[in-house]
Amino acid sequence: MKVYLEIAGERREIQLERAADGLYRAVLDGRAVEVHAEELRPGVLSLLMDGRAYRVVAEETVESEDWAVHVGRERFAYRMDDPRSLRSRLRANEHGDGPRTLKASMPGRVVRVLAAEGDAVTVGQGVLVIEAMKMQNEVKSPKDGVVARLLAAPGDAVGAGQDLAVIE
Amino acid sequence: MEIKKILIANRGEIALRVERACRERGIATVAVYSDVDRAGLHVLEADEAYRLGAAAATESYLRGDKILEIAKQTGADAIHPGYGFLSENADFADACERAGVKFIGPPASAMRALGSKTRARQAADAAGMPRTPGSTTGLASVEEALEVAEKIGYPVMLKAAAGGGGKGMRAIAKPEELPGAFESAKSEAERAFGSGEVYLEKLIEQPRHVEIQVLADEHGNCLYLGERECSVQRRHQKVIEEAPSAVVGAELRRRMGEAAVRLAQTAGYTNAGTVEFLLDKDGNFYFLEMNTRLQVEHPVTELVTGLDLVHLQIDVAEGKPLALRQEDVTLRGHAIECRVYAEDPENQFFPSPGKITRLLQPGGPGIREDCGVYEGWTVPMDYDPMLSKLIAYAPTREMAIARLLRALDEYVIGGIRSNLGLFRRILQDEDFRRAAIDTGYLDRLLSSGPARECEREPEVKLAAALGAAVLETRRTVSTNGASGGGPAERAWKLAARREATR
Repeated sequence: MKVYLEIAGERREIQLERAADGLYRAVLDGRAVEVHAEELRPGVLSLLMDGRAYRVVAEETVESEDWAVHVGRERFAYRMDDPRSLRSRLRANEHGDGPRTLKASMPGRVVRVLAAEGDAVTVGQGVLVIEAMKMQNEVKSPKDGVVARLLAAPGDAVGAGQDLAVIE
Repeated sequence: MEIKKILIANRGEIALRVERACRERGIATVAVYSDVDRAGLHVLEADEAYRLGAAAATESYLRGDKILEIAKQTGADAIHPGYGFLSENADFADACERAGVKFIGPPASAMRALGSKTRARQAADAAGMPRTPGSTTGLASVEEALEVAEKIGYPVMLKAAAGGGGKGMRAIAKPEELPGAFESAKSEAERAFGSGEVYLEKLIEQPRHVEIQVLADEHGNCLYLGERECSVQRRHQKVIEEAPSAVVGAELRRRMGEAAVRLAQTAGYTNAGTVEFLLDKDGNFYFLEMNTRLQVEHPVTELVTGLDLVHLQIDVAEGKPLALRQEDVTLRGHAIECRVYAEDPENQFFPSPGKITRLLQPGGPGIREDCGVYEGWTVPMDYDPMLSKLIAYAPTREMAIARLLRALDEYVIGGIRSNLGLFRRILQDEDFRRAAIDTGYLDRLLSSGPARECEREPEVKLAAALGAAVLETRRTVSTNGASGGGPAERAWKLAARREATR
C-alpha cells in the first residue's frame, strides 16, 4: 500500500509491503529499506532498521487532525497526505478562499466575544477570548473576511476542537 | 495520640504522596474529590473517598466546612492539607482544632504570625535574623512609600503583604515610577488576595533563592534539614529545585539553618515548614518569607537527608518528640527536581489541559517520580496544571543532571503539550551546569530566543516516517475490526461532525 506523509515539513511517499511477522519492505522516496516493527502495546513500536533500534511512540491527539510520533526524545508532527483520502479532501477545503472555521485549541470557557456576526475582520484579529486555568487566550481570524457565524457565547464551556465561529 | 485515620484535603500527586505514607504506617486514608477528579489516582488509591462538589476549588477543595464534616463522619483523627488549597488557612486550622480533628501542620497562631509578609518581617526582627531593608508594616500612602524608598535607596521592590506567585509585586528603579506602581500593586493585591496591604523592600540584584527546611515537634525541639536552591523560576514560579545548593557551604548552611530555627521557635511553630531566603552575590542572606506547609519540592530534601518528611509530619502530629538531633542530620549526594506541567513552552507557556493519550514514564537507578496522572487521564482545566515531579538523585550534581537528562529521554507525554523540552534545554545550558543561576536566569535564557534546533539525523527522520506509516496502516486495518480509536476512525468522526455542523 502507498502512503503519503507530510512529516517534519517534508512530503514523503512510502510504498509499504508487509512481508512476514513484523517485517516490512518499504520504498521511501525511491530508496528501498527493510524494517522490522514490533508493537509492544498500542501506539508503542520497537523499530529495527539496519541493526539500529528506535522507539517510535504514537501520540494520539484526541480531537485534532495533526498526529505526531516521538522517536527517542524528538517529536515529529505529521499529516497523512493521501489525495484520495477523506481527511485530505476535507483539509483542502479549509485552505482555499472558502469559509474557515475557528476552533478551540484547548478546553476552556469563552470569556469575551470581540466581533459580532457580520463584522469585517482582518487576518490575525482577535474574534473570541477563551480562558483555561486562569489564563486567557485570543482566538484569531485566519484570514481577511466577515464573521459569518458565531457559534459560542460568553460563559460557554468549549471542548478542544470545538467550532467557535465561521469566517467567510 | 496515635493517628489511625487521615483525611487528605487535597488532590493530585500530593494527595497520593500522603496516602502512600499512610499506607506504609497502616493508617487508613480518606480521600475527597471534586466532580472532575472522580477518576483521579488519589481516589483510586484511598481506603475511602467522598465527593465534595463541582470542579471549581471554591465548591470543592476550599470547602473547609464540608471537609470537616466528612472527617467527623468517617472518624478521621487528623487532616493532612497538602500544599495550596487550605494548607495555609489559619481559620481552617482553628476549625479543625475546635472539631477535635488534628490539623497536620503548625498551629493557627503560628500561621497568623508568619502568614502575612509584613508580620513575618516583624517576627524576623524579633528572631534577630537578617532581612531585606524596608518597611515592616503596610504602607498607608504614596508619600510614606516615597519616604521609605528614599531611605533604603532605589531600586526597590513593592510587595503585597498577603502575596504569593508574583502577584501585587513591582520592581521600581526610580521615584517617578512609584506612584503608579503603588496604585496598581495595591489593586492587584486587593483582587487576588482580598487585602491591598503593600510594603517596600530593597531590591536585591540577581539573588539566588535558597530555602531552609525546618521541622519542629510540640516539645520545643526544632531542626533544620539543609537547604534547597530554587533559583530557576519563571515569573516567580519555581521550575527546577535542587538540594544541596551548589554555593552553600557547611558554614553558611549552619548560619542560615540556625536563623530559620530561631524564627520558627519565636513564632511557636510546629511541624514541617520552609524559611525562604534571598542570597546575594557576596553570600549575604536575607529573610524572604516562611511557608507554613509541606512544600512541593520536599522530595529533594528527602533524597539528600534520607528522611521521609510526611512520616515525620505524622510523628509530630501524634505528639512524639523528634527522634533525631541536629548532628544526626547529614547531607549526602545531590537531588534535582523538575516540575512537569501541562503547558506549551512554544506558545507562551499557555496551559494545555486535556486527555493524556500516551504516557511512557522513566525509571531506573536514582529516579523518583511523584506523579498524579496516568495514560487516559484528562487533566482538568480547573486547577494548577502540574502533572508530576521528576526527581533524580546521584552522588554529585553533575551525575544528577546526566541522570535527569536520561530520564527525560525516556519520558513521553502524548495528547497534551508539556514542558519536558524546557528541562532538556535548561539541563544542557552551560550556565545551569556550572550553577551560575539566579532568580532572573530562566527569563534571560527564554528571552535569548527559541531553543537552538539541533539538526535531526536523517536516520531518525527515516525511522519517524516509517514508524508513522506502519502505525497508520495498522490502524486502518484494525478499525475494520472491533477495536477503535485509530486515525481512520477519528477521520470518520471528524467528517461526521463537520456534516452535522453544516
